[in-house]
Amino acid sequence: MSELKPRKDLLDIEGLDLPEIEYVLSNAVPFKQLFQRSVKKVPTLRGKTVLNLFYEPSTRTSSSFEVAANRLSADVTNFTVSSSSVVKGESLLDTIETLQAMRSDYIVIRHQAAGVPNIVAKHTGASVVNAGDGYHAHPTQALLDAMTFREVYPDYQGRRLVIVGDVLHSRVARSTSTLFNKLGIEVAVLGPGSLVPAGRHDFMTRLHSWDEVFDWKPDAVYLLRVQLERQEGMFFPSIAEYHKMYGMNTARLVRLRQLGAYLMHPGPVNRGVEITDEAMRYERSLISTQVENGIAVRMAVLHWLKPETDTD
Amino acid sequence: MPSPKPRLFQNGRIASAASADLLAADVLVDGEGRIAAVGAGLSAPEGAEVVDCPGCVLVPGMFDVHVHAREPGQEHKETFATCAAAALRGGITGLVLMPDTSPPVDSGHLVKSAMDLVSESSPISMHQSGCLTKGREGKEMAGFSGMASRGVPLLTDADRSVPCPDLMRRCMEYARDFDLLVASHCDTPALSKAGAVNEGRVSYRFGLAGIPAISQEIAIDRDLRVAQHTGARLHLQQVSTARGLKSVRAAKEDGTLVTCEVSPHHLVLTEQDIRDYNTHFKFNPPLRPAADVEALVAGFIDGSIDLLACDHAPHTEFEKSSDFGGAPFGAAGLETTVPVMFDRFIRTGIFGWDLLIERYSAAPRRLVGFAPVAIAEGEKAEFFVFDPQAETSVARETMRTKSPVSPFLGETLAGKVLGTAFGSDWHAQA
Repeated sequence: MSELKPRKDLLDIEGLDLPEIEYVLSNAVPFKQLFQRSVKKVPTLRGKTVLNLFYEPSTRTSSSFEVAANRLSADVTNFTVSSSSVVKGESLLDTIETLQAMRSDYIVIRHQAAGVPNIVAKHTGASVVNAGDGYHAHPTQALLDAMTFREVYPDYQGRRLVIVGDVLHSRVARSTSTLFNKLGIEVAVLGPGSLVPAGRHDFMTRLHSWDEVFDWKPDAVYLLRVQLERQEGMFFPSIAEYHKMYGMNTARLVRLRQLGAYLMHPGPVNRGVEITDEAMRYERSLISTQVENGIAVRMAVLHWLKPETDTD
Repeated sequence: MPSPKPRLFQNGRIASAASADLLAADVLVDGEGRIAAVGAGLSAPEGAEVVDCPGCVLVPGMFDVHVHAREPGQEHKETFATCAAAALRGGITGLVLMPDTSPPVDSGHLVKSAMDLVSESSPISMHQSGCLTKGREGKEMAGFSGMASRGVPLLTDADRSVPCPDLMRRCMEYARDFDLLVASHCDTPALSKAGAVNEGRVSYRFGLAGIPAISQEIAIDRDLRVAQHTGARLHLQQVSTARGLKSVRAAKEDGTLVTCEVSPHHLVLTEQDIRDYNTHFKFNPPLRPAADVEALVAGFIDGSIDLLACDHAPHTEFEKSSDFGGAPFGAAGLETTVPVMFDRFIRTGIFGWDLLIERYSAAPRRLVGFAPVAIAEGEKAEFFVFDPQAETSVARETMRTKSPVSPFLGETLAGKVLGTAFGSDWHAQA
């Protein structure tokens, strides 16, 4: 492998080039193989500290990063800030000062406001990993999605993924579609016009119904979580109608099975909304694999990034 | 106190709204601050100070109708004194103060108290405007007659549309009786919501809530119809889209009494210039796509856009250091507008000083009922000396505003304001 330029932060997918993507995805493979052994730990980050800074509750992503850091032998501190308990008047810059004083080597941050990881990255020598910021980006989710897709399709180039749901408010859709596009995987989207607005997606085909989806012959269908709290009753009439129009139900599952296509979801799922109980048991569901690969990919990301504090 | 000495500005060239040609002439300003003589080879009277201006352009003082000076109530952002210092550095000798202070200026008493403070602390002419509605709350009409008697140049709810079309209509009917100018910040809050940037590719890429173009365009269309219906005079602030400008053009052709302004940032920056969540590029209305910018420049040249106004909206660096969605809208503009317009348009030959003077000195004064200023014998001295060979480095250390926040920070612009003459005062700039 050719020399990569050292990178301090992982903030979004746009900034990554193909050799970097390859580097992370290929390193994730041996990390994943570790999980089969009785001792799942390697000494890669021994003596380093990882701060998990979550301004938005997310047990899954936070735990995934924690497990990843533990398996690299790093010391992990979890710092969950519920937005209501943020002291009024403490600005982002004040928080960053505090973080600086903790001298973490890696800061994993999730924040409800887009761009906050960029600001933190600019003001700290620690490596910053964006674990999801507003509607902006969720780069490790995209990487774990790509790893999962490539496991089932080693000949991934030219294959097809359709993303279903609230593309407008989804950082997962932004990051995953961008990464898949970079890898040469075709991406289409299905969702209501109010959540898949026109003129935003240069590289994505817009599909208008499940019939169109099946005619397009996707290799995998990626259901987005319906962000119930974000709908404000403005984007579609009801959950029941959403389920009827866009949910993965029995009839659609039959056609998915006929195609032999896989099913993906970033979790946590809303059963009965974007997916039925029955579809959850689909034999080609990759949802659990995505979770497992998440740990491997996050290990690969932490292993790859070079904090400025790193002087060895 | 000794009376100020006369001052001779030598070897410069005089610009005017009337002609693209610059007139090589010296300008003598007497001790009273009047222009005593304009002509070639004037000799300095005894005791006169000579300001040598070789290669420089003498330009009539600019007048900005859209300035937030933040006093009273938000003096940590700006004061009349720092605002005036910034204006002088930018060649601006007169301006209209927005009424969105704390408290908002919504009565004759508050206009008077603001003007008293101005007279104590401002070396240039500042004119306090008033609110359309009480407390800028968009619910009840503010005290029009009291504000009219104190000489407000215009009424506006500054950065807020009057949400109720019926109230807007009544305000305009009532304003007509006093021949008061109504200025409207066109926005439909139900559409713009918590948006931070123009809705489109850029908002999507950044994952930020968008402000759709229609939120301004629908408000423009509404206010134009209200103006047509009431026959009152309407001024539209900060037109920012091609479609909005098209509506203004059509209304003018129909004889509607409407004028409109554009901000310099909407003429020279696009939404693509927003990088890495830099909040210094967060404006309301937001920066738009290139096609809108092209249409605005065309409208600025052909006169569909009547005037330039910088929307000087200082917020401290600390306030702007928040995340993009949470940071306040606006930036300082008084010091950068003339150098930016010179750098982008005059230096490149897109238009001349005459057009900039018309749009930023003459038309704004006419809008609020003042006579345009000129560099001519018998006139009060209100002009600045601009060196097209020098450069303006936009840096926080050299800005005069209290809040050095600008999308042009770090840029080196062609041309520099060397100093501004206001009456008998000469404010040389470092």
